[in-house]
Amino acid sequence: MTTRLEQPKGGFNFDNYQRNVFLEQKGITLPKMTKTGTTIVGLIYKDGVCLGADTRATAGPIVADKNCEKIHYLAPNIHCCGAGTAADTEYTTALISSQLELHRLTTGRKSRVATALIMLKQMLFRYQGHIGAALVLGGYDINGPCLYTIHPHGSTDKLPYVTMGSGSLAAMSVFESRWRKDLERQEAIDLVKDAIESGIFNDLGSGSNVDVTVIEKDKVDVYRNYAKPNERGQKEQSYKFNRGTTAILKESIKDLVIITEGIEEMDIS
Amino acid sequence: MFLTRSEYDRGVNTFSPEGRLFQVEYAIEAIKLGSTAVGIQTSQGVVLAVEKRVTSPLLVSSSIEKIMEIDSHLGCAMSGLTADSRTMIDHARIEAQNHHFTYNEKIKVESVTQAVCDLALRFGESANGEESVMSRPFGVALLIAGIDEKGPQLFHADPSGTFMQYDAKAIGSGSEGAQTELQEEYHKSLSLQEAETLSLKVLKQVMEEKLNNTNVQLAAVTPEHGFRIYSEDELQAVIDRL
Amino acid sequence: MNPVSLYDIDSLTISPVEAPVERQFYPYADNGGTSLAIAGADYCLVASDTRQSSGYSISSRYSPKAFKLTEKAVLATNGFFADGLALTKRLGQKLEWYKHAHDKEMSTRALAQMLSNTLYYKRFFPYYVFNLLGGIDEQGRGVVYSYDPVGSYEPEMYRAGGSAASLVQPFLDNQVGLKNQQGAQRTPLPLDTAIRIAKDAFTSATERDIYTGDYLEIFVIRQEGVTTERIDLKKD
Repeated sequence: MTTRLEQPKGGFNFDNYQRNVFLEQKGITLPKMTKTGTTIVGLIYKDGVCLGADTRATAGPIVADKNCEKIHYLAPNIHCCGAGTAADTEYTTALISSQLELHRLTTGRKSRVATALIMLKQMLFRYQGHIGAALVLGGYDINGPCLYTIHPHGSTDKLPYVTMGSGSLAAMSVFESRWRKDLERQEAIDLVKDAIESGIFNDLGSGSNVDVTVIEKDKVDVYRNYAKPNERGQKEQSYKFNRGTTAILKESIKDLVIITEGIEEMDIS
Repeated sequence: MFLTRSEYDRGVNTFSPEGRLFQVEYAIEAIKLGSTAVGIQTSQGVVLAVEKRVTSPLLVSSSIEKIMEIDSHLGCAMSGLTADSRTMIDHARIEAQNHHFTYNEKIKVESVTQAVCDLALRFGESANGEESVMSRPFGVALLIAGIDEKGPQLFHADPSGTFMQYDAKAIGSGSEGAQTELQEEYHKSLSLQEAETLSLKVLKQVMEEKLNNTNVQLAAVTPEHGFRIYSEDELQAVIDRL
Repeated sequence: MNPVSLYDIDSLTISPVEAPVERQFYPYADNGGTSLAIAGADYCLVASDTRQSSGYSISSRYSPKAFKLTEKAVLATNGFFADGLALTKRLGQKLEWYKHAHDKEMSTRALAQMLSNTLYYKRFFPYYVFNLLGGIDEQGRGVVYSYDPVGSYEPEMYRAGGSAASLVQPFLDNQVGLKNQQGAQRTPLPLDTAIRIAKDAFTSATERDIYTGDYLEIFVIRQEGVTTERIDLKKD
């Protein structure tokens, strides 16, 4: 049971990385990020692409947001689901969205999904996985419907049906059993909804509602909260406090209007 | 002694053909040589009284201890080979403390009696390599008095490890006469004060010497004060009531 | 990797470094879940959710972790489920033993002390369980005892435990303990109010704690005995 310690001979020198590992072992904790345990999915059907996501954002064991949006806009014909570090998914998609907009203005053409893909993967690769964004990229361009996944280190896949996030296995089990080629639009939406719900109910990192976005040729439909399988029930009683319940620790009243007696004559000099 | 006396009274763990353990029976006989001890249970508490044999005028009578505390709610009077009682009372005290440590409650009178009786038969050769605890049976009988959730109670434990609950019980050399007297005088509505005088009255009848505040010992367990041995003055007050 | 040798400049002249490899076995797990107990004048309420999880997965949607130990006491175990189960089994055995030795049911006070001893007995390999013991005492009054894994305990009037304890306890402090409520009348908490508070505590904890959900089981201990009620919680 021995390991051979490799000595760095060249390439990048991650001095700060080594320092941080060293400091961590000395007991210094690094700042914690909000990671979204998530279920995001996408599939290609007969006329387009259907994307789906749950709406739970977590910070450790706590639900940070019960109804967040995980399907981001990239271009009029391209949307992108994000899983991982919330800030990273939001910023990378927003950044690439801006660059795509500029690209459209210079080229005067519609954005292609492959363009977005390249821009995203190159950015993620440049950051060597430190940007914790796992994405499902879907859109419709001159090549027809396109669907990709992008991992935090920059690797990508081009597949007809994909899932990502902590609920990806739950969702994929639904796709693997029911996905087929050339699904009808409604069938595709139902399958995506069921895949997301599988994540919502079986993965603790996912929960609340189902968001669906359907992209077809020249037509995008965003169904925010397409399904709400987890409505909160009525509370048993009211928790309205009686007036005066909150203790007053200190009281001071100041007059803001200063009243002066008498009439001053107008200066008409 | 027994008419059927035979070879079977040698081994401590050997039954005779009639089904008797002679050594245990002899141990019970040993009690009958001891000084008399009396216990009376009333609804207000339990009284214990013992005779102290002051065999010499040079003997310091206060050094004879035949009533002992087991726990704040438990007392014990003895008769027979009183030295043997040390082992038993030690065990009873440990058991009572252990119970309080484990359950934060006072041990029952019956439970502590049972614990003492569990010791009684641990004599002779022991099974598979275990170390033998004792070579012979105890030569002492105990009257265990106490109060728990069932109220004041009196138990008698003998060397055979048998224990029984009594309203009133006498043990020791004068036990036969004392028990007859107790049977006549005892009734359910006896007060604690009446029990105090009755116990001394019974002792007085069976004692050879004249009863005084140095040759008897009196104790009581009451809900108010728990176990308490009477001082010489308190004892004298009871004697004066006789 | 050994970080110290990375800073060792001399070792750049390469020679294979053999470092010892340490392997670890961690015998504990956290199976999540939440419990609460409220003591009333003549009752005690013990409520637990029934979700059992490991990591981001649900192991069971109905795996009760609160157990009726006697006719007068219910134990809610939180933390490592296997330890909770083993502990409950041992307590059951000790309870039976006590019954035979002393010819009576163990009182809740005695059970509370015995549980503490049982936990401390394993001081250096503890049961990884945060216990709440709810019941009624010899006088029929409600009592709650809360424990740490090594047996430190104290009697209380209400307590939350488990993964959402930090969410539920402040709510109970305010609604049962009437903390930070100026001029609030301290009246004995009726059982139906306690049940409503318990239900709201759990539906709310389910909203924000990912380890709490599926079903809620409420035990009510009274002089007449123990009753159980089961309520649906959200399953996401």
